[in-house]
Amino acid sequence: MTRKPILSRRGFLYGAGGVAVGLPFLEGLQPRKLRAAPPERPRFAVFVRQANGCAQADNGEPEQFWPSQLGAITKESLTADSDRAVSELAEFADQLLMVRGTRFAFPGNGCGHSGGGNQVLTAQKVSDDPSGNLSLAMGESVDNRIARELNPKSNPEPLATYAGAMGGYINEVLSYRGPKDLRAADRNPWSVYTKMVGITTLPEEVIQQIKTRRTSVNDLLKEQMSSLMSSPKLSKDDQDRLQLHFDAIRDIEVELSCQLPPQEEQDAMAAQMDYSGQDDRMQTIVMMHMNLIALAFACDYTRTATLQIGDGNDGTEYLLDGVKFPRYHQISHRIYSDGSEGDPIPDALGKHHRIDREHARMFAHLLQRLAMYTTDTGTLLGDSVAVWCNDLGAGVSHTYNNIPWVCAGSCGGFLKTGQYIDAGDVTHNKFHNTILSAVGLTNVEGNFVDDFGDPELEPGVIDGMIAV
Amino acid sequence: MWAAALLAAGCYSGASADTDADTGTASNPTATDSGDPTDSGDPTDSGDSDTAGDAELLPQTSRYPRLSHTQWENTIQDLFFLTEPTGFSALFIGDPVSGGFDNNSEALKVTATLWTDYQRGAEQVAELVASDPALLAKFAPPTDGDSDAQATAFITSFGKRAYRRPLTAEEIARHLEIFHAGVATPGELAAFPAGVRLVVQAMLQSPHFLYRVEASEVPDGTKIRLSGHEIASKLSYMLWNTMPDDALFAAAADGSLDDPKGVAAQAARLLDHPRAHAMVANFHYQLLQVDHYSDIYKDPVKFAAYSAELNPLLASETLKFVDDVVFNDGDLATLLTAPYTFVNAKLAPFYGVAGDFSDDFVKVDLDPARRAGILTQLGFLMANAGAFENDPIHRGVFLNLQLLCSNLPPPPNMVPPLPPPVEGETLRERVDRHTGKGTCGEGCHGYLINPIGFAFENYDPLGQWQTMDAGKPVDAAAEFSLGGVSQKYDGAVELAHLMADSDEAHRCYVAHFLEYGYARRPQKADDKFIATLAASSKSGTHTIKQIILELSKSDAFLFRAPVEP
Repeated sequence: MTRKPILSRRGFLYGAGGVAVGLPFLEGLQPRKLRAAPPERPRFAVFVRQANGCAQADNGEPEQFWPSQLGAITKESLTADSDRAVSELAEFADQLLMVRGTRFAFPGNGCGHSGGGNQVLTAQKVSDDPSGNLSLAMGESVDNRIARELNPKSNPEPLATYAGAMGGYINEVLSYRGPKDLRAADRNPWSVYTKMVGITTLPEEVIQQIKTRRTSVNDLLKEQMSSLMSSPKLSKDDQDRLQLHFDAIRDIEVELSCQLPPQEEQDAMAAQMDYSGQDDRMQTIVMMHMNLIALAFACDYTRTATLQIGDGNDGTEYLLDGVKFPRYHQISHRIYSDGSEGDPIPDALGKHHRIDREHARMFAHLLQRLAMYTTDTGTLLGDSVAVWCNDLGAGVSHTYNNIPWVCAGSCGGFLKTGQYIDAGDVTHNKFHNTILSAVGLTNVEGNFVDDFGDPELEPGVIDGMIAV
Repeated sequence: MWAAALLAAGCYSGASADTDADTGTASNPTATDSGDPTDSGDPTDSGDSDTAGDAELLPQTSRYPRLSHTQWENTIQDLFFLTEPTGFSALFIGDPVSGGFDNNSEALKVTATLWTDYQRGAEQVAELVASDPALLAKFAPPTDGDSDAQATAFITSFGKRAYRRPLTAEEIARHLEIFHAGVATPGELAAFPAGVRLVVQAMLQSPHFLYRVEASEVPDGTKIRLSGHEIASKLSYMLWNTMPDDALFAAAADGSLDDPKGVAAQAARLLDHPRAHAMVANFHYQLLQVDHYSDIYKDPVKFAAYSAELNPLLASETLKFVDDVVFNDGDLATLLTAPYTFVNAKLAPFYGVAGDFSDDFVKVDLDPARRAGILTQLGFLMANAGAFENDPIHRGVFLNLQLLCSNLPPPPNMVPPLPPPVEGETLRERVDRHTGKGTCGEGCHGYLINPIGFAFENYDPLGQWQTMDAGKPVDAAAEFSLGGVSQKYDGAVELAHLMADSDEAHRCYVAHFLEYGYARRPQKADDKFIATLAASSKSGTHTIKQIILELSKSDAFLFRAPVEP
């Protein structure tokens, strides 16, 4: 019995610290035919979402988030801006693209957090029904669009991950298959990892037997589903329900030939099997998901991913430097309440700023992991765009103006990094049009994507983000 | 009448949703959340449309309600006679929040990610049960005959339990092919368990296992009668949250479930079984939002008597009280007004009850002038209060949405914060100044939310009785429209009794139980049935257990509507 070689037959290079990492996509993805005009090499996009707005200048509060100057940003300039949250990313200054001056186009419907979450990755209207904390987006999200057009057939879904508690008030907010069709997210890193790796670590003979068995099962399942779907007496909802299920039945033949994480990382993930959203594990789980997202890109398991940190109005009690903070949502309101009444939280603004910094540090971890995978021209980070975003502009006002977008990675040279720009108070569909163009998608004429989001919105990209 | 008029129009008149405080432009929306921990259950339109036409219609429902993850776990345990749950479903991707109960069939779908989870779960279970001879003997006992005869016997007996109906001859033959494919890829297993493994692996991924399929298509007048096996599953998942037991299968097979009396007899049997207690607890846990108790937090300086270790005890108190009421033939009025509860040594002081208590919960009588039912107990009062002070707005919202099914619209997008307190001003006065009559919040708060919330001002954020606020006597008197008549009350006890005698509370409770029991939102066509049951509940004719039993007798339970083209 021979073991399947985990290390690729293909060339592998060296990541940070001399860790050998496989690099399958250099050759492995070349033959894959893209439906849109293909870039020369695969590109990837990941969206990391913080909740409750950031501590930026708003509602009479001072600026503590953005750099002090628009224009070029360097390690030196960010270091000099040490009172700003984004200074935590100084090490990646030349890879950063920060965009202010975008806004969500549509009002919420009774709950600012839900309405913001509905729009942040969709640029779509908020549903009339359901409303309030249950409101939904009226169209697909940007990760869905990328996965739909670029993902391998064996894995049609974008990777949707989640860290934090699920309180049931507002849980997932980011990823939509279509109107009112919210995608659930995976909270447990071990579940994500084992699904991604599947059976690839087993001996070759065992793998073949499992594949044979799965084929037999899938053939039966498709027959059964087809039989059910052939009934003419199905409601539209049931037709859609069964079709979604039928489309999910597939031969998962992703054979990860990239190297899997070291044993200690696997063990650490396995140790989180019981994770159910505990606050004191937040940073640990976030970083595990980030490791998995980088691995998923390196293995071309998916071209896009989301990571939602905290529930809809993140109520995490963050543990920072050994101190347990009040619930983040309440900090963002500056009072000990999730509503509008309550006593003030001492130094709430300072606490919000420190949470912004913590999110910046977690984002930096993702950038480090993406940069760990080297390519012949640079790193996986250079072939990607990692986006740290928020579904509100600022905390107290819950504004939909000036949404913070902090991007890293030029996405194969498409994005103009090393700068901080003001988009000029445009609707944020233009941001997503730019990102979609960066990963290699085009409109029907072969030009930059211009149709993402609600059709009422003015089309176009944000020129200042584009290098070429 | 006020309430009805306001509801019809949408009761608030707040700031425009699409104007921005900073710019005044219509294109820069700003939104403020309500911090509202309630969902808009909105189960029914209050039964005001009992037209002759509606009475003939059945609700349109899914023919493929998917098992919830809890139901998957329970079913696996029962299917293989396991002594405990496998826990494999803990790694399944969750289902998005849909606002209703967690078994809402309209929201449960098999996505690509969940399908991968199901595949892994099925393979794990199959490996577990096929590689353990003791387990194997339980669900695939040895039979006579050659290999194919044994395989066929297994497929026939196990298949009936997995698909919750007998398999057709074609299905048995097709699964025999799967069995053979399993034998051909045995790995380290012997032939028979290898065949069993693959059949199990297949059946646990089958739509016939993952959905509670309603395949019947034979018209019975204007309706389609569900088969005995479909009724058996519907009953079992409604009352036990799992697959049918042997007695239910037998009743399906012998035709007992083709007769409504036979269905009622089985429903009564299931409800009298200890497993039904979990269902009653789960329904009320979700209805009363007991999960929010885990988020209770009180300022440690102002409320030194509070600690987080109380939170799970509060949940225990609520569920013990509910169980006691329901299974001692209580009705909704009992739930809303009974002056007793269950406490242990840690909870007793909050009620001021004297006695020698331990960690164990015991039933205690409370002062009926101060306590009446579930709403004056600690869990509701603490969970719907802030860290420093009471929260009459959210107490009012909770009752409106969860117990009266008022059709409260979402709050406006821009909610200015509560003004700072003025010296000597009670919380009620401050809330009134902010949202009461004469303010822009008058529509909802003045007539619907605040009058309900103010009734609880005699309880502090720890649920303890209080008589003074800001140096003034507590004012817990208000009026609220019930049954179209403005009703005056002074305090939560009087309010609870008025609710117990109201159409609204009974209709709302019945509608919620229907939603949970039928695993779908109530529809217009359910209104007449809900109104009838609510009337019986209000008059004292039906206990809560009888309401549950009645749910199994309706046309909406026994039949399904033909699919409209």
